Amino acid sequence: MNQKLAMVIDSSKCIDCKGCMAACKQANGVSRGAWRNWIKEAVPPFVNGPGGSKKLGHGHFQPGACMHCDEPSCVQACPTGATYKNALDGTVVIDPKLCIGCGNCIKACPYGARFRDPQKRIADKCDYCPERRAAGLAPACVDTCPTKARVFGDINDPNSEAAKLLAANQGKVVRVVAKNRDTKPNMYYIASTAPDGWAVQPVDPLSFDFLAGVVAPVVKWAVGLSSLGVLAMLGRQLFAGAGPHDHGGKPADERPTGDKKEDGHA
Amino acid sequence: MKRSSIGVIAALILALAAASLAYAEGNARKGKFLYRQKCRTCHGTTASDLSPSSKTQADWKKTFAKWEGVKCVKEWKAVSEADRADIFAYLHDYAKDSPTPAKCN
Amino acid sequence: MSDSDTSQISRRDFMRLAGAAATTVAASAMTAVAAPEAKAAPAATAPNWESKFSVCDMCFNRCGLIARVEKGVITKLDPNPKFTKSRGMLCARGNAGVAQVYDPDRLKTPMLRVGKRGEGKWKSISWDEALELAASKMKDIAAKHTRCGMLFSAGADMQSGFVNRFAEVFGSFNVTSHESLCLLSGNRAFVDTFGDVPLPDVRNSKYVILAGANRLEALVTPDSMDLVTIMKEGAKVVVLDPRYTKSAALASEWHAIRPGTDMAFMLALAHVIITEKLYDAKYIDERVSGLDKLAAHVAELTPAWAEEQTGIPAADIARIARELAAAAPASMVYPGRRTSDYENSTQIRRSFAIVNALLGNYDRPGGLVPARPAGLKKVPAEPPWYDDNPPGRVDAGSVPLLFDEEGSFVLTRDAVIKGAPYPIKGWFVYKTNPMATAPERQKTREMIDKLDFMMVVDITMSDTAWMADLVLPAPSAMERTDPVQALQSGAEGACLVWRDAVIPPLYESRPVFDILKALAGKLGLGEFFDFDIPAYRLKQLAAFPEAAEILKRDGVFYPPNPPLGGTDGQPFKTPSQKIELYCSRYEGMGLDPLPVYAPPKASPDAARKFRLVAGRSACVTQGSSTNNPLLSEFEPENTLWLNDEAAKELGVKQGDVVLVESPVGKGELKALVTPKIRKDTVYMLSGFGSISGGLSHTKGVGASIVELMETRFDSICGNSAIHETFLSVKKKGAA
Repeated sequence: MNQKLAMVIDSSKCIDCKGCMAACKQANGVSRGAWRNWIKEAVPPFVNGPGGSKKLGHGHFQPGACMHCDEPSCVQACPTGATYKNALDGTVVIDPKLCIGCGNCIKACPYGARFRDPQKRIADKCDYCPERRAAGLAPACVDTCPTKARVFGDINDPNSEAAKLLAANQGKVVRVVAKNRDTKPNMYYIASTAPDGWAVQPVDPLSFDFLAGVVAPVVKWAVGLSSLGVLAMLGRQLFAGAGPHDHGGKPADERPTGDKKEDGHA
Repeated sequence: MKRSSIGVIAALILALAAASLAYAEGNARKGKFLYRQKCRTCHGTTASDLSPSSKTQADWKKTFAKWEGVKCVKEWKAVSEADRADIFAYLHDYAKDSPTPAKCN
Repeated sequence: MSDSDTSQISRRDFMRLAGAAATTVAASAMTAVAAPEAKAAPAATAPNWESKFSVCDMCFNRCGLIARVEKGVITKLDPNPKFTKSRGMLCARGNAGVAQVYDPDRLKTPMLRVGKRGEGKWKSISWDEALELAASKMKDIAAKHTRCGMLFSAGADMQSGFVNRFAEVFGSFNVTSHESLCLLSGNRAFVDTFGDVPLPDVRNSKYVILAGANRLEALVTPDSMDLVTIMKEGAKVVVLDPRYTKSAALASEWHAIRPGTDMAFMLALAHVIITEKLYDAKYIDERVSGLDKLAAHVAELTPAWAEEQTGIPAADIARIARELAAAAPASMVYPGRRTSDYENSTQIRRSFAIVNALLGNYDRPGGLVPARPAGLKKVPAEPPWYDDNPPGRVDAGSVPLLFDEEGSFVLTRDAVIKGAPYPIKGWFVYKTNPMATAPERQKTREMIDKLDFMMVVDITMSDTAWMADLVLPAPSAMERTDPVQALQSGAEGACLVWRDAVIPPLYESRPVFDILKALAGKLGLGEFFDFDIPAYRLKQLAAFPEAAEILKRDGVFYPPNPPLGGTDGQPFKTPSQKIELYCSRYEGMGLDPLPVYAPPKASPDAARKFRLVAGRSACVTQGSSTNNPLLSEFEPENTLWLNDEAAKELGVKQGDVVLVESPVGKGELKALVTPKIRKDTVYMLSGFGSISGGLSHTKGVGASIVELMETRFDSICGNSAIHETFLSVKKKGAA
């Protein structure tokens, strides 16, 4: 049986130390200003009482990254077949040789998990550290986590830690999905998590309607091989601005987590 | 009752007053040097491993009051009275129950 | 009140419960039809790396790690799973250890100042020249001002012990470390109560009060991780902090206590525990002295009284006291680490120690436990005696209970500025950065101006190095072979680590041991450094012949640890041989033998109404890490945390640049407008607003907290008091 690699996260254990983000960046040589993973913060409401502030409820930190979905909108959005689902382990993979950096997949991802690498000018995202896995190690973020909030493994293998954790929490597992589009993510949060409601509606490329359906694989195959198609998409890349969830194009003063933004609303 | 925030001058006066209570007469720094020179050669190797924090201040007082009774009395006799006072100051001031207990280093 | 949609904790409908589907999660995976795009990806190949053990150096925790080295280049640092003290983790700073090694800002050669002090004009010189110069300057200072005319300051580094050894054989009593800017008042209080400094056994605790200790950000292994573990298991963690820290976020409860009133809270806990007889009478009778005097002292200090002081409801205080006592002895008031806050910080920590004593938690699982013997041998020198030296440290007698081996940095600094009781004219600094960590850097600057010679050994051009005459490049920890160090954990006792170099030193850098050895040779003190580090380590490990092999195999060695409870029936190392609620030592010295509460002093100036508090991010180790290329991505600048209502009154909006001013200094930084802090308090990170031209990411970025802080110190032990400054805040450009 093929593997199904997944992450099972107890986000109530996350202390927002950024260990996973630093480890990922170092392990994968991610460019300055770009991030393959994140920690989101949920801030409880406060009251300013006579004795100072008081929180009403608990804060919560939520680690995340590419969710290696079973119905990945990014794969459907990719015009060249550079982004595909690895049949062997279920991961969503980017073939750097085929990626033309058009940015369609970035807008198609409801989770903001993809960005255009500012140096290589192609799409990038979490790949569960295949080289580390080949060396028998866990992905960098999982290995380094102080509270072991992130658990990684093959959930098709009932003996894996991840599968056992899922089994032990049957009926209490949640996934973060966009309102009208469940991409069947393979990132499972145990019991509950926050913040929620942050996943956005995937933006399908203009060409999607026309590419959709049975024709798509054929067209992709053709575009992937045709130098004309590549050139056309390359041109598109040159003119395409950084998308709203393009981590690669973040302004310098924006933090890797959204905490500043949330403070601003308060 | 005195407030816990005292000025520097008050602290200085207190420190001087305290010195007579908490510390012995000899020169503890010199004592540390002398202890290493005259005692450490055996204690810690062939004799028992001793350091200031091995005993309480009261115990050190007792030991030095009746030093003629210690095993290495022969070595003690070779130490001058002034040096002995310094060594006592070192061991006493850094004893187990002193404000700054010290292991020998 | 927050109206942010995204920040609410309540469940949302578009978070789909896998509920019914959960059972099918695994099943669906098995039967899933592969998407048409699925294909087999080519197999990845394992990196061709060598794996080498070392120990992290990005803070004082010293987490065991494995360095992955490819073609002589460190590509990744991973946690060493055998190093259980860290619970097998490496935090963001640990991961950024690679960025420290390959930081373009590293010092590369010895540098001699050629312009005015602090002007930033340097000349690269040879090691021979540098060492010759340093030795001759030290000789001159010793001849003119005695050997105590040299001051030595070393950071918390595995080679720092050699700096102290050098100072001792050179003949100077004047040694300071970062500790008098950090934790001495806590140590003072526990030594004076328990006779030692016990460690918290968080792992086995059922109830922990974190008063001011932000343990989920200021990471201490294993306590930080264990707090999360025990909360998951049902233990309660109560956080008192004027700021909503990440510890406050996750704690069972958080109380935004009025800053400077922790003692009132603790005394009220003692009041409830004593008046309701919630203590173990037999234990108190056998092990503790001074209960009657404490009972009389706290008789009127009710929760209602403490509510007025702390702002925490009396009912909560009484409830917490009862819950804490019910969980005893597996409960604690966490002793804290950076205890350098107020002028009475020793007495504040005495009140923490007293509540712990009433809980009977000493040497009990889940309580405060004594450090277990690590069995590491010291390798003492037999230093010469110099008759012409003054009688003691330059700061001796300035406070009643100075720790002789640490002294007080701020009091030493005052003495250097005054030139009394005797002059200090030389300063040797190793990997510590008082220009960025000691309050009122203007005064540190003034102190440096009094010196004839100052040398700094460090990895980058810190603000302190920027002021020096001679700067020598040190290798990072990954390039060094280091002695054995014992690390203590309350939960598990001691473990031993050492470092072997993962890669050779980069550029012309040299370990401080080599520098000291060379200087000792030039100063006729060579016999005291007549060894190398591998030989030194074997002496340290004399009690454990098997340890060296195990350290090579596992990267860590666990000496046999005696079980808890070993001190039962043994006398405590206090004058009364019991835990002293009433401190007989203080009584003898004219100090308050019981902690006497005084409300925190109000700001003397109505315009300066915000108390400045310091604190930590998990990505920052004060001034030593903010310039790290990777970590600067997480904390690119510091901001002023300003309460949202206070900001409204000041007309300050999110991200506005504000001007802050204290009686001693000014700063400019962006405001972070937030309900996460009390209205009377502001907060900023340290390590920003640097002055050194060698710090690409922090020079002139944000405000310097030490430019603003006034010089205050604990009246008992001379520890710096860094929460005693009030700031005015106004929007830049406003009238």
